[in-house]
Order: sequence, then structure tokens, then C-alpha cells
Amino acid sequence: MSLVANETLDAKGLACPMPIVKTKKAIKNLDPGHVIEVQATDKGSTADIKAWSESTGHQYLGTVEDGEVLKHYIRKASEEETSEEKKHENVLDLDGLRSKLDGEENISILDVREPAEYAFGHIPGAVNIPLGELEERFNELNQDGDIHVICRTGNRSDLAAQKLSEKGYKNVKNVVPGMSDWQGPTEKSN
Amino acid sequence: MANTKVAIIAANGSLFDAYKVLNVATAAAASDAEVGIFFTFEGLNLIHKEGHKNLAIPEGKEHFQEGFERTNVPSIEELIGIAQELDIKLIACQMTMDVMNLEKEDFVDGIEVGGAASYIDYAKDANISLTF
Repeated sequence: MSLVANETLDAKGLACPMPIVKTKKAIKNLDPGHVIEVQATDKGSTADIKAWSESTGHQYLGTVEDGEVLKHYIRKASEEETSEEKKHENVLDLDGLRSKLDGEENISILDVREPAEYAFGHIPGAVNIPLGELEERFNELNQDGDIHVICRTGNRSDLAAQKLSEKGYKNVKNVVPGMSDWQGPTEKSN
Repeated sequence: MANTKVAIIAANGSLFDAYKVLNVATAAAASDAEVGIFFTFEGLNLIHKEGHKNLAIPEGKEHFQEGFERTNVPSIEELIGIAQELDIKLIACQMTMDVMNLEKEDFVDGIEVGGAASYIDYAKDANISLTF
């Protein structure tokens, strides 16, 4: 199966080091924060793509095997996420979210990461609307009740929480820092 | 790997040697490292204008030819092109060139020529140094 990615790179049939050489070229033209799917048949590419992502600062999301083809998902590093300044004041930490979930409160969680990030691990029951689509899709959310917005490190969710507040949503909480530190249950959708 | 510097000495000239050198070099450069290769003695074959297109498989290992074709490994010509695209510094050893009676024009375009001191100067603050 394929996950939603912004770009796809065909590196099938190529041997080391070509998959990463091609990935390097392709990611140059990708917008920061966007996701690329790299299709490869080189069995070493899983370890290599992962190591390459770590050394270049991009985010390796995971790999899906589709027959002979390995589909690697990488999200291009984005400077936006390194900013420390958060503007939405209503925040909840991960322990707070965890105890609400454990208390079996029926709470709504909005995950604003890219679909491929969400697919490789999200909180069960979380709804996925990527930050970039929130402007068009916010009305899918219920105006009443708390909305807990989460991303990877708390920055995209901060922007999303601000946007929802502007749209008239009253009880929007930014969950910090985000999925990068989440120790609770997750599920995959691929 | 930005701010990582890799210094490589290529001192052998078979097809196998070429892959060892160029795979590591291009992988490092694709990971944003700064890479320089110093070609000396038989290593000069790897950047010789014509020679690098027809490097020999070591004697007795000819049966690997089939494997290279089956696995679609890039050609050395292709890897040299990628190395140049990725701004890998290619330095030919002046002393070996003199001994072998070779000129800068005998090599692929864009190389530099230098002596042992050039390599030492380049490698003195390298994070990774390798010899093949």
C-alpha cells in the first residue's frame, strides 16, 4: 500500500549508493515539512535511508514493504519546528493528556502532522488533519467540547491551536511537547 | 553531517578499488559532508580520462562481472560524474603523474593537482580519513 506523500521518488533497481544520492537531489526541491516516498529495491536502503536522514537532519518516518519494493518515508526538516516560542496559552502536557485518556474521558484529539507521520504511529482515536489543510477542513471538528491538538514537537500544534481559536473554537489545548515524547499507547494505520 | 570532513586516499586502481572509494565518497557527500580524494599511484586510474571507463576486475575474480550487471551497480563513469556534481574535491598526485609521465589533461575535467603536503593540509582537520 501507499501512504500519502507530497512527492514520490522511483529508485527501484538501483544499487548503493544511488538511492541516497537520488534522495538527496529530490529532497532539495521538496518544501520544508513535506514528505517524500522513496521507492527502492536495494535491501540495504532501509538502514541507509535511516542513517542518511539522521546525519542530514531530516525526519525518517518509516518503511513499508510492498512485495519487492521498499517504500521509505522521509519528512524534510523544517525550520519552523525549531522555534521555541509558542503563542497559544492553553497548553496541556503529555501526562495530563495520558490521565484524561486513562480516565476514559471521551476526549477529542486532533493530530496535525502529515498523513505519513500519522500512519506510522498515533494515539488511538486521534483524528488527522495536517496543519496545511486545517484552513479548509476545520469544520470537520465539533465546536463544542475540548480539542486536544498534537503534532511531533508542539510547534505545528501551536499554530493549529491559534487558528482554531480564531475560528471560534473555545476550548483548544495545545498538547506539549508532542508525539516525539509520547510514551502512551499508539496505533499504526498502514 | 554538515561540518563533517572526509579525507580519502585512493592508491589502487582495479574496478573493486574504484567502487570502494567512490561509494563511500558519494555516500558521504550525499550526507552533506565535505569530501576530498587524493589519487596516487594506481589510484590515478580512477580519474584517468579513458582509463576510468574500463577498469579491470582483479585477476581470478572475473566471475563477479555477472553480479555487477545483475545488481545494476552504477558505472565508474557515472559515479565520477556524481562525485563532481556533489562537489567532491578530486586531487591527483603530482609526483605519481611525473613518474608515469601524465599531464593534467589526461584526467577527467575539474581535478586539482597537488603533492603530499596538499593532502596533509586537507586531511589535518578531517573527521574521517580512509585509505583504499
